[in-house]
Amino acid sequence: MHLKSIFKFRYYAEIDMANRRRSPYAELSIFKMLLPILLLTASVNLRANANPGKMGNDPVNNHTMPNLAAFTVTGKVTDKATGKPVEGATITVKGESGITATDQSGKFSINIKSATATLVISSIGYQVGEKMVDEKNREVDIQLIAAGKDMGEVIVTALGIQRSVKSLTYSAQKIGGDQINEARDANFTNTLSGKVAGLTITSSASGPGSATRVLLRGNRSIQGSNNALFVVDGVAIDNSTPVKQVTDDAGSNGGGHSGSDGVSNINPDDIESISVLKGAAGAVLYGSRAANGVIIITTKKGKSGKISVNINSGVTMDKAMITPEFQNEYSQGAGGTFSAITSGSWGAKIAGQNVTDWTGTAKPLTAYPDNFKDFFRTGSSINNSVSMSSGNEKIQSYLSYANTLANGIVDHNHLLRNVFNGRLGWNITSRLTADAKVTYTVQNIYDKPGVGGDGMVAANIYRIPRSVSLEDISHYQNVNVVGIQTPTYWTSSDPVYMNPYWTINNTHRDEYRNRVTGLVSLKYKLTNWLNIQGRVSNDSYNDFISQKYANNTVNYARVAGGYYAEGTDYISERNIDVLLAGNNSITNALKVTYNLGSSVLTRGMRHRINIADGLGYPNKFDLTYASTLKVEAATTERELQSVYGNAQFSFKDYLYLDVSARNDWSSTLPEPYSYFYPSVGISALLSEMTTMPSWITFSKFRGSLTKVGNDADPYLLSQTYSYIRGGMGGYIGSSSTKSIGDLKPELTTSLELGTEWRFFNNRLGIDLSYYKTNSKNQLLRVSAPASSGYSSIFVNAGNIENKGIELMLTVKPITGKGLNWDVALNYAKNKNKVIQLYPGVSILYLGTSTNVRTATPVITEGGSYGDLYGYKWLTRNGQYVVNAQGAPVKGTAIEKVGNFNPDFSLALNNTFSYKNWSLGILVDGKFGGEITSGSAGQTAYGGTAAVTSKYRDAGSLVLSAVLEDGSKNTTAINAEKFWQTVAQGDYNWAEFFTFDATTVRLRELSFGYEFKNLPAVFKSAKLSLVGRNLFFLFRGSSILDIPGIGKRKMDFDPEVSFGNSNYQGVEYYNIPSTRSMGLNLKLSF
Amino acid sequence: MNKKIKTTGTMKITFLLLLAGIICFTSCTKSFKEMNTDATKLSAVTKSEYPFMFAYALMSPTLSPDNFEVGEGTVAGVYSQFYSQAAHSFPTDRYVIVQAWNPAMWNPVYTQAVPQLKTIIEGSDANSAETAIANIWWVWCFHRLTDQFGPIPYFEAGSGQRYVQYTPQDSIYFDFFKKLDAAATTLKNHSGEKPFGTYDLVFGKSANPVGAWIKFANTLRLRLALRISGVNATLAKQQAEAAVAGGVMTDLADDAYMPKSTASYNEYNGLAVTAGWDDIRMSSSMESILKGYNDPRLSIYFQPSVATGTYEGVRNGLFTSEKIIDINSRLFNSNLGTRWCSWSTVKNDWVTNYNVPQDIMHCAEAYFLKAEGALNGWSMGGNAKDLYETGIRMSMTQWGITDATAITNYIASIATPIAPQDGQSSPAVNDYPIKWSATTSMQYKQVAQQKWLALFPDGMEGWAGVRRTNLPALYPIVHSENTDLPAGTFIKRMPFLDAEKQTNADAVTKAVQMLNGVDNAATKLWWDKD
Repeated sequence: MHLKSIFKFRYYAEIDMANRRRSPYAELSIFKMLLPILLLTASVNLRANANPGKMGNDPVNNHTMPNLAAFTVTGKVTDKATGKPVEGATITVKGESGITATDQSGKFSINIKSATATLVISSIGYQVGEKMVDEKNREVDIQLIAAGKDMGEVIVTALGIQRSVKSLTYSAQKIGGDQINEARDANFTNTLSGKVAGLTITSSASGPGSATRVLLRGNRSIQGSNNALFVVDGVAIDNSTPVKQVTDDAGSNGGGHSGSDGVSNINPDDIESISVLKGAAGAVLYGSRAANGVIIITTKKGKSGKISVNINSGVTMDKAMITPEFQNEYSQGAGGTFSAITSGSWGAKIAGQNVTDWTGTAKPLTAYPDNFKDFFRTGSSINNSVSMSSGNEKIQSYLSYANTLANGIVDHNHLLRNVFNGRLGWNITSRLTADAKVTYTVQNIYDKPGVGGDGMVAANIYRIPRSVSLEDISHYQNVNVVGIQTPTYWTSSDPVYMNPYWTINNTHRDEYRNRVTGLVSLKYKLTNWLNIQGRVSNDSYNDFISQKYANNTVNYARVAGGYYAEGTDYISERNIDVLLAGNNSITNALKVTYNLGSSVLTRGMRHRINIADGLGYPNKFDLTYASTLKVEAATTERELQSVYGNAQFSFKDYLYLDVSARNDWSSTLPEPYSYFYPSVGISALLSEMTTMPSWITFSKFRGSLTKVGNDADPYLLSQTYSYIRGGMGGYIGSSSTKSIGDLKPELTTSLELGTEWRFFNNRLGIDLSYYKTNSKNQLLRVSAPASSGYSSIFVNAGNIENKGIELMLTVKPITGKGLNWDVALNYAKNKNKVIQLYPGVSILYLGTSTNVRTATPVITEGGSYGDLYGYKWLTRNGQYVVNAQGAPVKGTAIEKVGNFNPDFSLALNNTFSYKNWSLGILVDGKFGGEITSGSAGQTAYGGTAAVTSKYRDAGSLVLSAVLEDGSKNTTAINAEKFWQTVAQGDYNWAEFFTFDATTVRLRELSFGYEFKNLPAVFKSAKLSLVGRNLFFLFRGSSILDIPGIGKRKMDFDPEVSFGNSNYQGVEYYNIPSTRSMGLNLKLSF
Repeated sequence: MNKKIKTTGTMKITFLLLLAGIICFTSCTKSFKEMNTDATKLSAVTKSEYPFMFAYALMSPTLSPDNFEVGEGTVAGVYSQFYSQAAHSFPTDRYVIVQAWNPAMWNPVYTQAVPQLKTIIEGSDANSAETAIANIWWVWCFHRLTDQFGPIPYFEAGSGQRYVQYTPQDSIYFDFFKKLDAAATTLKNHSGEKPFGTYDLVFGKSANPVGAWIKFANTLRLRLALRISGVNATLAKQQAEAAVAGGVMTDLADDAYMPKSTASYNEYNGLAVTAGWDDIRMSSSMESILKGYNDPRLSIYFQPSVATGTYEGVRNGLFTSEKIIDINSRLFNSNLGTRWCSWSTVKNDWVTNYNVPQDIMHCAEAYFLKAEGALNGWSMGGNAKDLYETGIRMSMTQWGITDATAITNYIASIATPIAPQDGQSSPAVNDYPIKWSATTSMQYKQVAQQKWLALFPDGMEGWAGVRRTNLPALYPIVHSENTDLPAGTFIKRMPFLDAEKQTNADAVTKAVQMLNGVDNAATKLWWDKD
């Protein structure tokens, strides 16, 4: 009966595939087909199971029950090293269909059909074990060996299915929880850096907890997210950033503040393991959002047995890792003259002469070499987490609590996070199990610093002239008799910048997040080989964000009294799914594992901002005091309905074939709402198919071909008009974006080939992957000529190709009782090509602004994703051109100056352990790629950058260049003229401020001691000294070799950006990245 | 069997519940259409929305503060030399073209005004007052654009096409005249109506909005007629005479203002905000003329400098290194008048009057236009001298100068501009007296000078007038950093937008051909003949 129903399904599926080609609407039929099958299978099996051992009398199918077992084997599975029971290990019988799992005490029982059989025992983190059984040996004890990186390893894949790594047809990498919870970061994703080949992490410059860009295998989506999907315990979680990311260098989009992401809320101590499925192949079953790869997080569960308690405590101190190089020879002023009203440092040479400074005090002129560095404090973070696991055979529980306090390096900026996590496993009957989890997160970020230009704190610090002391500017305000504060500033008036101490003391941005993630899952074992699981999960959070600008804050408190805004963003994601999973042996050699599922995913967002632009009573930051109140509101709702299935056929456990298919119906698309995408993959274990020399331990080839569809954002299908509030009755205006009524879903095709080899009994391992992905039909908002009445239109177009290789090399140079030395090397190279854009569209901006202040990342046909465009120095016949005044001439249009993606990345992780000691050293290099620095432009314009101290005297710099007529330049200028020509205030010629973004850094260092011979109450204790982002071993230089001036070394961290959007490669008044060092203590009882 | 089902009943219910999720599928896509409709937006507009749309079309092209600062204040505003650039980091006063700022006036016209105007015109009766007024405003929007760039997308503006063709400037002007003529004619049949009610932000509160729009249309027509007097004198005369015959603005009550509001940032008066941002100081040209004439408007247009308490101006086109020297600095020179902002000693900064109405068009200009027409020998309903003097009276009165004797004395004054005592030791900017001169060539100069003064602070119109007639003679900018505009030359137009070159390249290429010159700031527009 069982095989029949499977074949029946396949039969329908095949017919359906045939239909698809004929009718675009045929996809619907898959679903109509599946529904009765699911219902039928469920009910039939319920009935069948209700009558164990009896013949079924089903009116639909004349079922026969399987043969009764020849005998039953019982046993216990334990960890060889610790002797502890292994729970949840899967037991199968070679050549038979039986399958079971161990309970909390590691015990199991399984029916065997033949006289002798081989049990196959697998569990996460262990090598696969085998045990021969026969009627005489019905009770067995099985010891599993911890896997490390061995071939028998089991990994959690899509839909939470555990599979042996060897059977995978695509590349997946696993990270243990202990690899990320020692050297910590307030956003744990930052600690993944360098640990996975092909994974690029970019953190943002908004202090602790700010959003991180997590990129697998390059950028493919032009305007959608390129961030990997995070899946926790089988359910995708929301990792969006409700508050926009800053996507222009003015910092205007998002108000200079990038929102925080969702995944950072996870407590790393709750993580059991992480699987990284890099391509789309492993991910087809998660749907559209998985096209960028999936990071699957499995959290800890309760275990039966004695109560166990784990404590992890850490403290780290953070310092600015790198700060810009400034000149200390010239004072505030312009034209070589000291002036206390200018913002620049183009003044007189500092020689102790007496001047009247900006405070009106007469004093000797002095330089303040550390007035940038000293603005930043030493940050710190304290992490404490405690978890408890307990349970019996019926119920197991896991409870944890984590507390993080992280103080940023900008005064007042800190993050406070509390995460409560509870999980309950319940074996209701021997067949029915339940798993429920609730995570409650409270995260508050106070005084989040802004990024970008125009008056954010960092911008204000960068602008301090070299002869202005922090001590003087720390008196940042004057207060009059009625308590009105006015800022003090060292320049007469500068419309968008001000005293940075005012910014940190009189402007505040706080984010409060409450998040509840809940999951309930019920699993029913229909037969030994078939189970059905139903899950409901909900992830919702509420962000409350308040923004305060005190009265008289330039540019932001525009109306008297000050500015106060508070906003709430409510985000919810609800997923309901049903999954039927089974496995059968078709013949002794051929087995099949299959899953059939269906889900409804509902996502909603409710965004409200109330703005008190002007406070009737100055600096009372509450809506009650608003002199005028404004409201912004947006609500979106979307639903995705899906049916999916996959089957894996395994032949003799050395040849695997994977087939998957999915159909989605999305509310954001036009009728029929539907799109279908399949995938196929093959894995062959050469080492088991043929006889190989003994030094080859393992050899595998794999390949897969996948398609992933993607829907769009809601509300793009029809033209809309908006009501705009105003003081004279309001307005109605048409949307300046032209809608797209015939929107098509995006399609990504991905091909992956890989091979894995292990030699000398696993002492040496190589895993090599090649991939090629093409993303087509992308939904693009392209700039229209504004004269058409629309500033942008939506089109479906494009073909973005990513090709790359990934290499993982593991070596165990030394292994033995005393000393162990493990080396892991990750190499990844990705090449991106924009094969096609859209007819007539020559350039697409990845940011929101087409306003090029420094450089801007773009896409051009024939170029590659993230090319940086900006102005260059005009050349004629290879020679730089200057004007009649001897100053550089700007190129006529923006041109390519670089690309923000590295050419390749290389990370080397060395782990040593000797007796109780362990040492981990992670060196991480990114090679190639460019970054344009607006800060470099601004400090050059302001005459504060170190490079500006050369050629200060009038007529001291004759640029080796030609005039427009080709004649040789003989006119001399000075540094002020030069730098103010190439950095015109807010507008910098990109080529002069673009740097080779190559860096090699000591990413992580951990030095630990494991206490042995502890008092009985302790199970283990480990103390580690940890450091992250310690120092650069190498950093790149400016791309332009300016005649007479030369190249400058990059004096900032290129890995820090505005936020996690696609707008990358531009640095503009960033807060420096931090070096952190600390101690970590892990205790278990 | 029944018994067995009972024992497994709970389980069965559990599964049925789980499966309910799937069962809902087939019917659930029915709700997709509704789900995918944005509740915060309107999906269609009818006539009841037109007033709101017209208000938007009126407000947007008068520019939000952000757009005003870079779309008008730092370009036409300083090119006209009504004021000079005080902001240290802005280079436009030295004729550097900042392409990034070019869309600031362009986009509001095309993406905010045009779509609404088109909807109203296409959805209303061709002979309705609404269509007529929308057409008049259309001309007002577009003349400001074409006078910056020359050829612009016009007939295909707002068409929603992927590429939008440009129209040569002469054809645009011909259409302007056609539209204004038709609109004024239509409106005559609608007297007493109040089209768009109070959503007509310009004249909605006037007793006779239709009549006011007729005068506005005719004054605009007269302005445009004089604009082409150098290139097509016949048409200019014909249009000017028709405009005057149809009735232009004659009285302060006819003046057009755009009300501004503190209710939303985009409704703030852009000029006031720009002045409050300390972008602006009195120009030496203004100082030379206003001080030389002992002009009562000096203390209205500008205010004493914070440091000296006197009225001081700065030459256009200084380097930052010069702007920090006291005599050129912000502290020592005059910001715009207290109508727009005032210095707060408490704040140590400017306090801005955000809701000061924005000047759109005034009757004083109409008199000066007629005066010039009369000098051309056109039938303007008066002689040049009277029109000139009435223009002065109207401008004075408009700015609140009520002392009739003072005005009369002013008109009779033979005073000429003086050396402004600025950082460049500039001589007097020109030698035109106020008192009506005996020679025609000086009369042209006087009309131009007084019109220039009266147009303040409308930089767009101030710049256009100087380009067309080279009058009044203003100071050359001190430093030009634009190699197309060497020392002593005057900026003639704005180059086409980079944004258009990227999205509408072929059309821009063709537009350059229509320009009859290089696409730079030195090429003269069609109507600009010396």
